[in-house]
Amino acid sequence: MEPTEDRKSDNRLGLLMRAAQGGDAEAYGALLHEMASLIRHVVYSKRPFLTPEDIEDLVQDVLLSVHSVRSTYNPNRPFMPWLLAIVRNRISDAARRYGRTRGRELRLENMDVTFSVESTNSLTESYGDAEALKLAIGSLPAAQRTAIEMLKLREMSLKEAARASGSSIGALKVATHRAIDSLRKKLTKKK
Amino acid sequence: MNGTEQVIQRLAQDADVVRPLRTPWIRTGIWLSLSIPYVAIVLLAMAMRNGLPTLPLDTRFIIETVSGLGVGITAALCAFSSVVPAYSRRLFVVFAIFAGLWLGSIGQNCIQEWLRNGSQALSLSHDLSCLPFITLVSIYPAMALISMLRRGAPLTPHLTAAAGAIAAAGLANFALRIVFPEDANIGLLVWHIGGVFILAALTAAVGHWLLNWRFVAHASKNISR
Repeated sequence: MEPTEDRKSDNRLGLLMRAAQGGDAEAYGALLHEMASLIRHVVYSKRPFLTPEDIEDLVQDVLLSVHSVRSTYNPNRPFMPWLLAIVRNRISDAARRYGRTRGRELRLENMDVTFSVESTNSLTESYGDAEALKLAIGSLPAAQRTAIEMLKLREMSLKEAARASGSSIGALKVATHRAIDSLRKKLTKKK
Repeated sequence: MNGTEQVIQRLAQDADVVRPLRTPWIRTGIWLSLSIPYVAIVLLAMAMRNGLPTLPLDTRFIIETVSGLGVGITAALCAFSSVVPAYSRRLFVVFAIFAGLWLGSIGQNCIQEWLRNGSQALSLSHDLSCLPFITLVSIYPAMALISMLRRGAPLTPHLTAAAGAIAAAGLANFALRIVFPEDANIGLLVWHIGGVFILAALTAAVGHWLLNWRFVAHASKNISR
């Protein structure tokens, strides 16, 4: 009896995979091309609602999986059942992944980078009265004023500021913290 | 060139020689040849400490022990076959037969023991120490099995992991029965068989961490190098 077309095709793919397992890059390339269209067809028939991009993603996923487990193909056994078992598994995995991630995602278009409500915007972003800030800095105790001027206005490093002021790094950190705290209080009150 | 075409070209360039995986039967043989010496060493150590056990060579004990070993071996066969795409699942039927025989033989012995000794046969405390022993003995066979299974396709990671755990724990249980060949009672049923299935359930729960496509891709990269 003559072998059917499916059987012939299966044998051909099996032979290509056997050659690929032997390191034949050309045979492997041909096999991957044939597999890609077969997989695309199976994915489309099982998941017709997927977008072309999602189908291609799945095709690539299956090809990578086939590549990883090509050693599990036994050249004495039919090729198509082996391939279809992997395809079905990867399609189910993708469905589970979809359920875990995209099912819980909300697509938003043109989302603002920040909220417009006043309370969500910090003082540094909204405060614009440079004169009041200058006055507030001027009213700080000398140590705190020096710390703010060196570290924030002149952007010196802690080491440089410590050398220039003769204070320790720890003392500068404390002075800066206290200065920012009192500036916040003063400027918030004024607003 | 689209993404799929790029993937195909990249994979075709990576077409190194790969050795087809041996059949589940041969792989089970390899696993047994790795595990049995370890189990034998543990048995020997136990025998040196407790003295050589006198094995009751009656039919009941032989059926129970051999079916227990059969459960371990068929579970390993099932685990190895489950990582080969499209491999026949008929081995699971053989596993179920051995498991039924094992449970049946111990269950029958429990009933007979109960009829003979009454409530004394229902004590659970005597075999409590068996569970850590089974765990200890099965660690190495389980590790060997997992590392071998990672070369296959993780199509059913939970089922494969459970079968692997039953294989390793079944082998450990067999060793334990040789060292302590006492009559089967409810404690044996709970701590030995229950222990094997508890280990299987715990391993099955983490099956997707032990066996997944990431590991296979990584292993295949290392093999091709």
